[in-house]
Parts: sequence; C-alpha cells; structure tokens
Amino acid sequence: MALLELDGVRAGYGQTRVLHGVSLSVGEGDVVALLGANGAGKTTTLRAITGGVRWDGIINFGGRSLRRATTESIVRMGIAHVPEGRGVLTELTVEENLRLGAYLRRGSDGVAKDYDRVFGYFPILRERRKLSASTLSGGEQQMLALARALLMRPKLLLLDEPSLGLAPLVVRSIFDIIRAINESDHVAVLLVEQNARIALELSSHAYVLEVGRVAVEGDSAKLKTEESVRRSYLGY
Amino acid sequence: MRFLSQAPRRYWLVALVVIVFAGLPTQVTSFQSLEWAEVLIFAIVIMGLNLLVGYSGQISLGHGAFMAVGAYTTAILVHRYHMDYLATIPIAGLLTGLLGFVLGIPALRLSPLYLALATFALAVVTPSLIKRPENLTQGVQGILLPPPQPPDWVSSMFASVTSGPAMTSDQWLYYVSFIVAVILFWVAWNIVRRRPGRALMAIRDGEVAAAASGVNIAGYKTLAFGLSAFYAGVAGSLYGLASGYVSPDSFPVALSFTLLVGAVIGGLGSIAGPLFGGIFTFWLPIMSSQFVQTQDWIPDQVASVFKNAGPAVTYGALLILIMIFAPNGLAGLILSGYTRLRSRLRGVGERTTGQVPPDPQTV
Amino acid sequence: MQEFLQQVLSGIASGGIYASLALALVLIYNAMGLVNFAQGEMAMLATFLAFTLIDHGMSYWIALPITILVAFGGGIVIQRVVIRPVERAPVLTLVIVTLGLATLINGLAGFLFGYLPRSFPSPFSVQTVSIFGAAASYQDLGVIGVSAVVLVLVYLLLQRTTLGLAMRAAAHHPEASRLLGVRVSWMLALGWGLASAVGAVSGIMVAPILLLEPNMMQTVVIYAFAAAVLGGIDSPLGAVIGGLVIGVTVNLAGAYAPGVGGDLQLAVAFAIIIAVLVLKPNGLLGRRATRRV
Repeated sequence: MALLELDGVRAGYGQTRVLHGVSLSVGEGDVVALLGANGAGKTTTLRAITGGVRWDGIINFGGRSLRRATTESIVRMGIAHVPEGRGVLTELTVEENLRLGAYLRRGSDGVAKDYDRVFGYFPILRERRKLSASTLSGGEQQMLALARALLMRPKLLLLDEPSLGLAPLVVRSIFDIIRAINESDHVAVLLVEQNARIALELSSHAYVLEVGRVAVEGDSAKLKTEESVRRSYLGY
Repeated sequence: MRFLSQAPRRYWLVALVVIVFAGLPTQVTSFQSLEWAEVLIFAIVIMGLNLLVGYSGQISLGHGAFMAVGAYTTAILVHRYHMDYLATIPIAGLLTGLLGFVLGIPALRLSPLYLALATFALAVVTPSLIKRPENLTQGVQGILLPPPQPPDWVSSMFASVTSGPAMTSDQWLYYVSFIVAVILFWVAWNIVRRRPGRALMAIRDGEVAAAASGVNIAGYKTLAFGLSAFYAGVAGSLYGLASGYVSPDSFPVALSFTLLVGAVIGGLGSIAGPLFGGIFTFWLPIMSSQFVQTQDWIPDQVASVFKNAGPAVTYGALLILIMIFAPNGLAGLILSGYTRLRSRLRGVGERTTGQVPPDPQTV
Repeated sequence: MQEFLQQVLSGIASGGIYASLALALVLIYNAMGLVNFAQGEMAMLATFLAFTLIDHGMSYWIALPITILVAFGGGIVIQRVVIRPVERAPVLTLVIVTLGLATLINGLAGFLFGYLPRSFPSPFSVQTVSIFGAAASYQDLGVIGVSAVVLVLVYLLLQRTTLGLAMRAAAHHPEASRLLGVRVSWMLALGWGLASAVGAVSGIMVAPILLLEPNMMQTVVIYAFAAAVLGGIDSPLGAVIGGLVIGVTVNLAGAYAPGVGGDLQLAVAFAIIIAVLVLKPNGLLGRRATRRV
C-alpha cells in the first residue's frame, strides 16, 4: 500500500472544474514528479491533498482517507506542503518561521539537533535568523520554506515549483539538498515542477498532467529518454 | 443577450413599485404617510452612500454630517431669508455636494480605514461645529420650520381623486419626497449604467488596473464623494422639512453609523438596495420593540426577556442574524434566491472548461 | 510648571487607558482586518461584572483577575458564536456585525443594570504624592502602573511564547499557518479572548473616573480608535504610543487652549491624527497594508 494514493480525484474552484479524475500514488521514501504545463492542475492537486480546495474521489494517506480532514489535521498526520510562492510568513523573523516549523514537535527530542542540521544545510539562515523574513531573497525564502518543512519531520513532502524564479545554481543546490534529505530521512516527496528536466533527474517516477488528467506516467528514467514524450509534454 | 430578455421584466417591476408608492398615501393615515416619507428620505441618502461605498469602494462614516449641512441650509434659508422651501432643496443639495467634492480631494490620500476615521471625525465634530456660529444657526436651540402646505391646485386635485379630504401637510411632504426620490433614483440608475458607473466599479474592483486602463481615478473618486454628498444634502433638507425642527443634536454620530448599516443591509452595489435600506433604517428600530411579541413560536419567557431588555437587544440581534444569513444585504439575498430558483428550473449542468488560467498565487 | 507636569501625568494616566483599549483594537485588526466596534461595550459589560462581584463583598484584587478571566472566556465565546459564521464575508459585513454586537451588549447592560451612573471603587486613594514638585495622585499612578503591567504581559505573551507566535502567525498569515499545523480558527478565538481581557482592564481602570453606566466607554472607544490609527492600526507598540500621545495632548489642550471644552477635545484628537496622517499616511509606526496568506 502506497503512502499517498489518489484515485479519480476531481476538484475545482466554484463552478470551474480543474481536475477531471487524477490518479497517482507515492510510495514511502519515493520521489515522484508531477509535471505539466501551466494550468494543467498540478498546484490544484497538491491543494486537494492538504485540503485547500474542495475535491471528490479518493485521497488516502497512510491508509486513512483525507476526505473530511481539515488542513491543520492533515498536516499533523505528517504531510508538509511548501505551497506555490513558498508561504513564508513575512511578518515574522526567519527564526520565528523556523520555530513554527517545529511547532507541532514542541518538547519532543531531537528538535535542537534538527535546528543544527537545518542550519548546516542552509547556513545563510543562521546568519539572517533575527531578521524579518521579508528581507530574504527569493532563493533564500525557498531555503527557509524548505528548512521549515524539514523541521516538521514529515513523512511526505509536497513541493510546489521550488525552482520558480530562482537562478540555476541556486536551483541545483536546493535540489541536491532535497535529494540528500530524501536519502537520509526517507521522506517521500511529491514534486510539482515546470522544470521537467531537473524534476526527472531527481525523481524515480513521474506523472504528466494535461488539462486535469494524467496524460503520461512512468519511470522517470524512461520518460527522460523517450523523445516523443519529451517533445509533446515536457517542452524539450 | 440575457439582459435584453430580462430587461422588460425588470422595468415592469420598477413600474409596479413606483405605482405602489405613488398610491400609498391614499391607503394609510396621514401620519403614516409622514413615516413613509422618512423611509424615502433615508432611501435617498443611502442611495448616495451606496454610490460611494458600493460603487466606488470608498467608505464614509460621516454622511450624517452631510445631512446636517443640507438640513441647516434649508432651515437657514427658509427661516432667515424667507426663501421658498422648495427652492432650497436643490440649493442644499448643491452646496452639500460641493462640500463633499472638496472633502473628497484630501480623501484620495487615505486608505480605507483612515478614510473611515476621517469621516467619523467629521461626524463627531459636526454637532459642535454647528453650535458655534450662533447668529446663523441659533446654536443649541435649533431652528423651527413651519410645516409646508401643499399648493391649492394640488390639494384639490388630490381631494377629487381620492374623493376625500384635502391633502394634508404630511401627505404633501410624502409626495415631495417621493418625486425627489424617483428623480434621484433615475439619475443614479443612469450614472451606474453608463460610463461613470463602470469607471467607479472598475476603481472599486482594482484601482491599479483601472488606472492602467486610463480611468481618471482622482476625478471619479472625488465625483463619487460629491455626488453622494449631494444626495445626502437633498435628503437632509427634506428631513428638516419633515421633522419641522433642526438642531445640532438631530444629527448625532449614531446617525452616520445607522446610514452605513442601512446601506449594507439593503445591499451595496445595487439600485434596489437603498430602498430596502431605507425601509430597514426606519422600521427596524420600531420593529425591534414589537417584533418578538408578534412571533407566536417564541416561548413566553424568552419573549418577555426580550421585551424588557428593550429594542436595543433585539435590534442588535436582528442585525447580527441578518448579516449571518444575508452577507450581501437584502438585495443580494433576493437576487441570489432568484438566480438559484431560475437555475433549478432550467437544470443548469456543471460547467467544465478546457484550458483554465493558472492557479492563483498564494503569496 | 508644576501644573503642567500634573496635566502631563494625568494625561499619561488617561493615555494608559486609551492605550490598553487601543491595543485590544489592534489585536483584532491584525487578526481580522477590521475594527471591532463592540470592544468598548464588551469592556463595559466586564466592568459591570466586576462591580457586581465587589458589591457582593469580594475584594477588589480578587474580583479583578476573575473578571479578566471571564472577559477572556467571553471573548472566545463571542468569536465562536457570532464572528465565525461570518468569517469569510466581506469586511463591511463583519463591521456591521460588530456594530450589532455593540448595540446588543449595550442594551443588555441597560436591561441588567439600568442606566443610573454608579460609582466604582478604586483601590488607589486620591491622595497625592509629590513628584518633581508636582502633585501626582495615587489614582493616576495606580492606573499608569496597572496599564503598564497589562501591556508588558501582553507583549511577553505575544513575542516570547510559542502560543503568542502561533497567534501572530494565524493573524497575519492564516493560510500559510494552517500548512504548519496551527489551528488558525482557535488562534483567532484566543485573540478575541485576549482583546476582551485587555479591554476589561481598560474599563475597570476608567470606571472610577467616569462613573459606571452603559454608555461609559463610548467616548473612550473613540479616543482609543483615534490612538490606534495614530500609532498605525497594525502596530501594537504604535497603539501604546498613540494612546499616550492622545491622552497627554487632549489633556493639555483642554487645560491650556482657549475655548476648547469637553466636546471640542475630541476634535483636537482628530485634528492631531489627520495632521499625522497627512505626513505619515499609515500612522506613526504602521506599515504598508499587509497582504495576508
């Protein structure tokens, strides 16, 4: 049984339907990529999982249905969602953002060590920790969002376009860190990306959404090489 | 296309309402006519407030002050300069409108909350400001206005049409208010329908985009202020005539709040809203003291508590309940009920789309 | 000079009261983007509760914390019952709801306690002590002291505890906070409870001066609103500074400016604010409109 299962998920905003039956699964410790053009429904899929949009169908996490669960309780089950735009709390300092990452783990052991680990991955956050989060650059905010998600020690990490608006070098370093975390902590990752190339490198399995449906799915390694897929769906 | 098929129905509805209101004094007592005149007066000022808040998206907690200006203009012109009271109505409106336009200029700089505060300050300060120039305003004593009598030809026409007594002063006031209301509603409707209305709504829904589309933001916003003040001034003038007496205490801060409440409850951004707003503003306080007793399904103990607790508790409770169940005001409630009914009758299916625009940014 | 100092001190005392209520207004504004027009009435009702307790023999210093606790609970209840159903409605709708709430509470107080003004006991004597040659009453000093304690406690709660952090996060960034496991709805309720408790202190402090009756807080609310806007509606520190500035200035204006009587003091307050807003459109410490996630 996979950690995360979606089956025939339909979702939309008001009268506009965006997802028309999405099915995918993420196994424990897997890195899965969710690709597709702008507007295909990738962000909506992630939002459906964490309860940010009304949906129909089946979404199970660890065997439990997420149907009537509130966002807060879904998160407490072990899902960390870094939304489109990163969701950095700009009214607060960097340190306060991180403390909120550890909010659900107050008092449990290992939190202090996790802070060290996270600062190890992202030393700039330690430097800037007393400053307002609004002073960080785009790349730094992405690091903050990721660091915060790590502090939650989730079982599943949902990442919405982590590469958006970032310089290639920064993107590379962030993705290296994501890989490192996945390998060391066995955190499953569902990665939404428009940068298909780097997403396919990182992931083991991939789904391509088109207009609210899964158009193509398969092994990332294979999808990378299949030229017809690359041309039609991935733009390169 | 839909508008064209709807339009005739809407016009019939408006004609019906106008006829009902035109015939009202023949069916109710003279005093009740005066009460309904006040309903229409509130509807007028709320129409103006609606233009400002509902259509241009600015806020005012000071329209009571504008009413005061209108009322005192009429009172002073009639009492001191012996002008014909009918002539003072448009003068009051224009003067107040000019004042509103002028005040609208510094208002441009203020974001909504601060604009609320500034207009609130205006409302708070106005009674004191009225008291000061005693030569003109008679200060705390206020000014008495004689009840306006209908012209003879109107009075006898009314008597022959209704085969009853001649028109009373109250009924005449009702008709004056009625005609003014009809005219001003028609004006507002035309403004809203045409370019100014669209410009205002564009500003309300997104100033940056509106500016980028070439809308003269400053011009339209100050125009909205001036226009809404004009309406308030006319209403204030009528209010003074209807009450027969103006004093600094006739226009307390609470009035400005009541007007805003009336505008929201009636329904912002709609033409029908202010009429509901006027009805509500006038009748709700009165209803509050009697409402609970007339509801048979409420057990006696509860009802007696409400009766003793007074109209304020009922009024507040009703206000809250209405906002919970009709957050877009009564006009919105009726409109959504109507649309829901229509869609159920027509069996609207679910709308699916092809390509959809990108998901909205969350930050 | 002495008289001037006295007026200043007196102004600081009233300023403390305005600051407390202004802080309550700012707390709710930060959480919901609206000014809670019922804040003053809630404070008044809490003060009546304190009065009833003291009237029945309870000591002032026991009635005070009990009232604060009940006010806290009351604020939570109000948020759950009245505000939550309309949480997602347009701001103006919410404003109307708070107005309705204010009317309701005012009527309730009138019903339960009548409109006759009552004297409210103060634990501080009206004797004076000499500070820098000026006579400062224990009453004023006591009010300043209590207000200061309350404001410091609120500061510590919000800035130094995890709960306060969660409350601030929920207020400014509700959606992003949900994704961190913060129970946003309950944080809002706590915010209301806190604001209500702080308001209760404000009411209890002002009651000995103004005499307790249902309309007692209305002028205070106006000053507090003015103070909050002056300081920047989204800044708690601004609320405190604004309160003090308004308190002192209004007092001095009343004492020294010719022709400024009771009713024009309000005008003075507003004139100050509008002058400040022209120079600093977001208030002294306010920031540009915060966008919330």
